[in-house]
Amino acid sequence: MKRKLIHHLFRALTGLCALASCAILAGIVASIVMRGWSALNWDFFTQQIALVGASGGIFYNVIGTLILLATAFVVCTPLALGFSIVHSVYLRDSHWRGKLTLLLYLLNGVPSILFGIVGMVIFVQVLGWGKSWLAGGILLGLMILPTVSVTLIERIGSLPIKYTEAAIGLGLRKSQIIRSVILPQSIGGLITGLMLGLARAAGETAPIMFTATIFAGASIPGGIKESPVLSLPYHIFILAQDSYDPAVKAKLWGSALVLIILVLGLSLVALPARLKIHEEANHA
Amino acid sequence: MTKSPLILFAFLPAVFALLLSACGESPENPEGGKKVSALKINGSTTVNLPVAEAAEVMRERTGKEIQVDTQGGSSGGISMLGEGLVHLGMASKSLSDEDRKKFPECDFNEIQIGADAVALIVSKDVWSGGKTTITKKEMAGIYEGNITNWNQIGGPDQRIAFFNKEPGRGTWEVFAKWAYGSAGDTPQASFPEVGGNEETRNKVASTRGALSQLSASWADGKTVFALSVKTEDGKLIKPSGENIATGAYPMSRPLFVLSDGDPSGDAREMINFLLSIEGQKIVRKHGYLALADLSK
Amino acid sequence: MTRSALNPSCRRWSITLILSWLFTGVALAAVVGGLGLLLIESAPAWKHSGFEFVIGKKWFFRQSEFGAAPMIYGSIIVAILAMILAAPVGIGAAIFGVEYLPRKWRLGLKVTVELLAGIPSVVYGLLGILLLRNWIYEVFQDFDPLSGDTLLTAGVLLGLMILPTIMTLADDALRGVPGTLRLAARGLGLTATETALHVSVPQAFPGLLAAVLLALGRAMGETIAVFLVIGRQDNQWPSSILSLKPLLESGQTLTSKLGGSETNIAYGQPLHWGAIMGLGLVLLSLVVIITLTGAWLQRISFRQHQQHS
Repeated sequence: MKRKLIHHLFRALTGLCALASCAILAGIVASIVMRGWSALNWDFFTQQIALVGASGGIFYNVIGTLILLATAFVVCTPLALGFSIVHSVYLRDSHWRGKLTLLLYLLNGVPSILFGIVGMVIFVQVLGWGKSWLAGGILLGLMILPTVSVTLIERIGSLPIKYTEAAIGLGLRKSQIIRSVILPQSIGGLITGLMLGLARAAGETAPIMFTATIFAGASIPGGIKESPVLSLPYHIFILAQDSYDPAVKAKLWGSALVLIILVLGLSLVALPARLKIHEEANHA
Repeated sequence: MTKSPLILFAFLPAVFALLLSACGESPENPEGGKKVSALKINGSTTVNLPVAEAAEVMRERTGKEIQVDTQGGSSGGISMLGEGLVHLGMASKSLSDEDRKKFPECDFNEIQIGADAVALIVSKDVWSGGKTTITKKEMAGIYEGNITNWNQIGGPDQRIAFFNKEPGRGTWEVFAKWAYGSAGDTPQASFPEVGGNEETRNKVASTRGALSQLSASWADGKTVFALSVKTEDGKLIKPSGENIATGAYPMSRPLFVLSDGDPSGDAREMINFLLSIEGQKIVRKHGYLALADLSK
Repeated sequence: MTRSALNPSCRRWSITLILSWLFTGVALAAVVGGLGLLLIESAPAWKHSGFEFVIGKKWFFRQSEFGAAPMIYGSIIVAILAMILAAPVGIGAAIFGVEYLPRKWRLGLKVTVELLAGIPSVVYGLLGILLLRNWIYEVFQDFDPLSGDTLLTAGVLLGLMILPTIMTLADDALRGVPGTLRLAARGLGLTATETALHVSVPQAFPGLLAAVLLALGRAMGETIAVFLVIGRQDNQWPSSILSLKPLLESGQTLTSKLGGSETNIAYGQPLHWGAIMGLGLVLLSLVVIITLTGAWLQRISFRQHQQHS
């Protein structure tokens, strides 16, 4: 009897933990939707900021964030591909493989603010770019490299051995196997990883605040040097600290809502596939 | 099919190619080339409000790109102008000799576009508890940690929650100059810090016994309240428009747009607009005093 | 080797090989370059203060006094606080998912929790500044906090933020326990709870610990949300390390300092900038140590289970 009771109690307790986690997500999303919903309309997306955030929309902020994401995508893709292939194919049986895995862990743990200040030294000081979309994109691309690589590596790792065996049987070389078997088969892992990585990159403020984004006045960048963009997270960060006009508040929550929709949208598309890959790779 | 994934590898080289081409072309025309780069402005969040709005109007009218940012407050504006990273700086304080010494290359030119004051603001409970004035001595006592409760200086029995403006803010420097003569002579003290004006107002309004320095135009008299300064001869001076204009209020301050030497081109246009009747209207709209108010 | 002998057209160097190594090299170079830069740029501060930089309790940049100890204290306390709050809930949720829920539901739970991980820190910050700091201020009124900007506020906010990390890593650790062990335990007549408590959790213990540590590392690196609610008060060294009183006072973490105005002020002044970069280096070292320990534990856990199965 007592055992049964403990069983039910413990199950209820852990269930409560699970419920609490879900409730937190629901609570956060609800509180932002409630406050930000009224700000969303067509003009909000198509106009640019006016009256220092009190009026107009966030057109160029969204565009800027998308530019940063696209750049991060372009930067991260070859790096993640190269890294994962070296890790999982060329160094498959080497002791270096474990070291590379560890490096991914460490890179994943590097605080995003460090990308910001180191990036500031490299891009602003050494290269003299001033604030530039490219600097932000490169930093974000590097920052999400672990997220993307780990997914890709897990995907490659879970490919059925018979595929590669068959390819070897056909007399294909390693590089041919990579191109004709491994890459096409694991491209889904790359895409999933990228989407999750970009979801994380979209919300980051710290790496781009010193290197890529300004408060107002930037539109589509025309070059690299001195070509900042606007962005959603920095917009929110600044307005959270400086907003004279109460009208800014509604716009502020509206911006937060848009950012959340972007981030959760990307994650929601990618997460089920990501979890599937993860399960196959680790708990098959 | 077999080769298509390799295309993914081409991404990064493409970026580098783009990068090299862009780097190759930019040094050619530092000034006056066919592609004039954007007008860049950085500095004080206080001055930012009218300048950012003026920039919106200018953008619409001239189609020029004007970038406004508020990194590092007044100090950020001064140092970025000093290093040639921006065309115009914004500062909510007068330049000190120290500032000028730091950037000997830069010929700082202060162009006043309006005026404001630093108010010492308190939360509602302090105000309604009867503390509506403050002396320099009391403020110093609080700053040095000798006065920690409002009841020590005629207020309610409530601990003083002093939020200090973060370093680099014009507001803080104006305050330091009033209280101690200069930023360098300010005693070492550590308090919770606040940055932006809204952050300051929000935190003071939501904290009992709170005190902070804030641009007078933000002291709305509903959520936060500006203390009058009591001079040594017992006069009470409110941070009102009139007292700021006459300079009677001790923490009055000019609002500056800074340039390196005589501004030219887009920078000149921007300044001309800020000084025009229309630009001055924008200054006033944000709660500051326009230049015309000062000469009255 | 034999294959290349058979195939005369085979070159050892293929495009794929070169590109893969090239890009791996670029990634490694970026990591090494970043680290090198932190070291070089922070050199003036180390020269100026020596080890005093890490253990010094006073930070007054105008007087060129640079002691990072209060910020290190702030970072650690806030991260530990977050961990204490998030670990039980996260691990509890993971146990519930693995031990009691059918697979489909478990994945649903995991997706939900990982969605939570996607919410940007600036949004957490916004909620923190608007709701949480006032809530803490009112709830702990009896302890008379000076304001709502406290280490506790930052810790609670961070706790919410690292909950998904803990849950998802704990889930991995628990899932790593071989199903055969569970079945055997159930076969002996243990209830699901007894199996969880006496078999899964002890078996997964290193992995669970790793989950907690990796989340701790993440908490320590978080900037924007902490920045908005911690109060950013320098030189808050506690009278006693174990005292709980500082939790309801403002403080400063390494990250809130780095994200603040001093980074802009310091720019262009070698010593002050060196001190800022030095803070970056200290932060990186802390996170690296924690992450390495976590990764090491995770490996132990993994090896253990491979032996079992």
